[in-house]
Amino acid sequence: MLSYAMKRIMQLIVTMFGVVTLVFFAIRMIPGDPAAAMAGDNLSGAALEEFRRKLGLDAPLWEQYADYLLSVIRFDFGSTITTSLPIAGLMLKALPITLMVAGFTMLLAVLIAIPLGTVAAFLANKGKKKLDNAITWTAMIVDLMPAFWTALLLMLFLSLNLKLLPASGAVSFEDPSLMLKRIALPVVVLAVSQVATLARITRTAVLEVLNEDYVRTARSMGMSEMVVVFRHALKNAMLPIITIVGLSFGNLLNGTVIVEFIFSIPGIGTLLVYGINSRDYPLVQNVILFYAFVFVAINFITDMVYKKVDPRVQF
Amino acid sequence: MRRRWKLNIGVLTAAVILLLSACSNTSDPATGNTTSPSATDSSTVASGEPKVLKVRFYDDPAGYDPANIFRIENENIAFNIFSGLASYASDTGEIIPDLAESWETDDNMTWTFKLRQGVQWQKGYGEFTSADVLYSYNRILDPATASPYAAEFNNVESMEAPDPYTVVFKLKTPDGNFLHQVANYHQGQIVKKEAIEEFGDQVKWNPVGTGPFAAEKIDPSSEIILVRHDDYYQGPAPIEKIIFSIIKDESTATIALQNGEIDVIMRSNREENLDILEKAGFKMNHVENYAASLKVFNLEHPILANRKVRQAWAYAVDFDAIAEGVSPRLQKGAKSLLLDWMEGYSENTTQYSYDPEKAKQLLAEAGYPDGFTIKQDGTSASGVTEQMQLEQEYLKAVGIELEFDLVDTPTYNEKRNSGDFDVSGRLLPAVNPDMVLFSYLHPDNIAPKGLNGARYNNPVLTEKLESARAEKDSAKRLKLYEEVQQIVMEEVPYLPTYAGNVYWPSKPNIEGIVINKLAQVNFYGVDIK
Repeated sequence: MLSYAMKRIMQLIVTMFGVVTLVFFAIRMIPGDPAAAMAGDNLSGAALEEFRRKLGLDAPLWEQYADYLLSVIRFDFGSTITTSLPIAGLMLKALPITLMVAGFTMLLAVLIAIPLGTVAAFLANKGKKKLDNAITWTAMIVDLMPAFWTALLLMLFLSLNLKLLPASGAVSFEDPSLMLKRIALPVVVLAVSQVATLARITRTAVLEVLNEDYVRTARSMGMSEMVVVFRHALKNAMLPIITIVGLSFGNLLNGTVIVEFIFSIPGIGTLLVYGINSRDYPLVQNVILFYAFVFVAINFITDMVYKKVDPRVQF
Repeated sequence: MRRRWKLNIGVLTAAVILLLSACSNTSDPATGNTTSPSATDSSTVASGEPKVLKVRFYDDPAGYDPANIFRIENENIAFNIFSGLASYASDTGEIIPDLAESWETDDNMTWTFKLRQGVQWQKGYGEFTSADVLYSYNRILDPATASPYAAEFNNVESMEAPDPYTVVFKLKTPDGNFLHQVANYHQGQIVKKEAIEEFGDQVKWNPVGTGPFAAEKIDPSSEIILVRHDDYYQGPAPIEKIIFSIIKDESTATIALQNGEIDVIMRSNREENLDILEKAGFKMNHVENYAASLKVFNLEHPILANRKVRQAWAYAVDFDAIAEGVSPRLQKGAKSLLLDWMEGYSENTTQYSYDPEKAKQLLAEAGYPDGFTIKQDGTSASGVTEQMQLEQEYLKAVGIELEFDLVDTPTYNEKRNSGDFDVSGRLLPAVNPDMVLFSYLHPDNIAPKGLNGARYNNPVLTEKLESARAEKDSAKRLKLYEEVQQIVMEEVPYLPTYAGNVYWPSKPNIEGIVINKLAQVNFYGVDIK
């Protein structure tokens, strides 16, 4: 177990190095640079060149790359080019907000999706095709709705018509109740598609398990169908579900980018979009580095949790 | 086996930390949420309470150092914090006194400004004097500041302050438009030495000016808060605090205004949202013709180099009708590079009313009776707009196949600067007609050096431009501007397409929102009734 973990950590470092390098060059391959993006229509020609020089964008690429690698090793995130604010500070402020949105989303999704998927499997097994189909199809349709559209619909309905939740306002820990109200809509929007995916996976996984011998044994012992499905089948169907939950937490961080934009939530996604739009190289590099780290770490953790849930898994 | 188990526990703990760290932070607020006193309290302001104006801000704040300030929404904030020697009247765009009470010049070479006395800096930085003017403008010229606007003072030979309330500028060549250089915009805004030195590289987040509002809090990811400058020389503003909330999505901003979460939308750019708000009874504050969109023809392109082709294009498309059909509120057809409220604007030029037959005839004369295919650049941010699709149809009718090349905005600008395009576009918000014409038409400004993206170089026109700038007699100067516009409209290196309008919808009880010709609002005149 320990040697496996060490091996995975080494892999993690190599992956991160790859990401750092890729992002460094990819962001510079997009035409335009921070100077041009900042200046917009205000500058051109010689003035723009001068401005570039001031921002230090005229240094040779390899030099910039070496500087960046060194700073990553030192955990020194530096300052953004366009705002001169420290990147670590910006990320530390944005991170709890995004994690909170993602965390609540996952929680809500799991709480709804797993029972829903299990019920669907239960119904399918009982031969109640129509109800099962209704759940499955609804889940599929909901899954296909783009987040920006769901967001608008929910905003129109919950915010404008019912006046339940605000569409704008400060999101900060200084005003926690407003903050919760503000993140409620994004959480619901994100959870909607998570629920759909998770419920379908749960249904399939549980159905598969329902044909296993031990389930037949359980039935033959006279247990009620409910107990069979929820106690025995679900428990054994957990493995693929955990994988999906883990992976979708990563995807969720992607999803927050759009939702944060629509609801003006000052999270990591907003920071990334700002970085890309303003071609703020260090900002984009470090935010992506963080995303990569989260993805890799989640995979790592998922693998470890596997081991716990199913002791038969050998590393 | 036992060791493994322990490690698993550790890993499991790590796994749930991501979730739980967030949840534990909020378990307290969650219980507080049922009573939720704070949110409702802060959103409703009882009468007699300080007047707080909530404004939707549509982009990321980018800092407020006049030496390095870009983009209209940021300029609007700076406009309210800082002052220049002169300013612009919101309704007419005319130059009016600001920190300078009066000025005089005999020859457009020596400009003497008499400064207002007793003007106080924000945040207790003392009284404003001529030393501040010299410091600010020398700072712009100082290469260490690396201000992109340094070139605006290229024509300044010397600056002197004979006494605390007088500043004298000597220019190298006469400039009848010099007041624009020292107005409340970019390099013209006056800063305080002590504040600049105190904040070092964080100056852009700690602006100190002499304007009606001072910066209280700038959070680049969520909001900007300005408070009233009580010692403002014109007296304190009616509004005590302005909260600019960043709401990027247009629909969200519309809903936020309808919900009463904000009082004003800084710039609403979608016709359908304006429709909704107007029908719901909101006030549609707006300014017309704040800037003209130009089509930029690359004169180095073999087909577009032919003037008849460009004229044919102008005849082939009915820009008025497109604007009327697609965005009647936000646009209308444009008739000149200048705008109708600018000094020197003229319609006494070649005007291209819709005439497809004439377009076909011109194309035939130019040697393209069967038309040709050409590419027009656009930004992926705006995509292929309905305007573009309609224009494509109009052009198809005379045989021109228009294709679109959509790229992101920095790439779009870069292509136009480097000359790697057939047809592109440009919008230049400005108040100074001289600056507009010089930027687009003078050979010194041929891209990438300047804004002359068409790469236009006509010595006759250049000569007229230069004499207009130096001309002391204003009637003669306006005549020269008219001649310049006549040549441009005949040769169409740039084709004016649409003149844009800017809307700031607000609640009905918000008064005094007058959007100036730079699409800015001076919040000093705004009040909540």
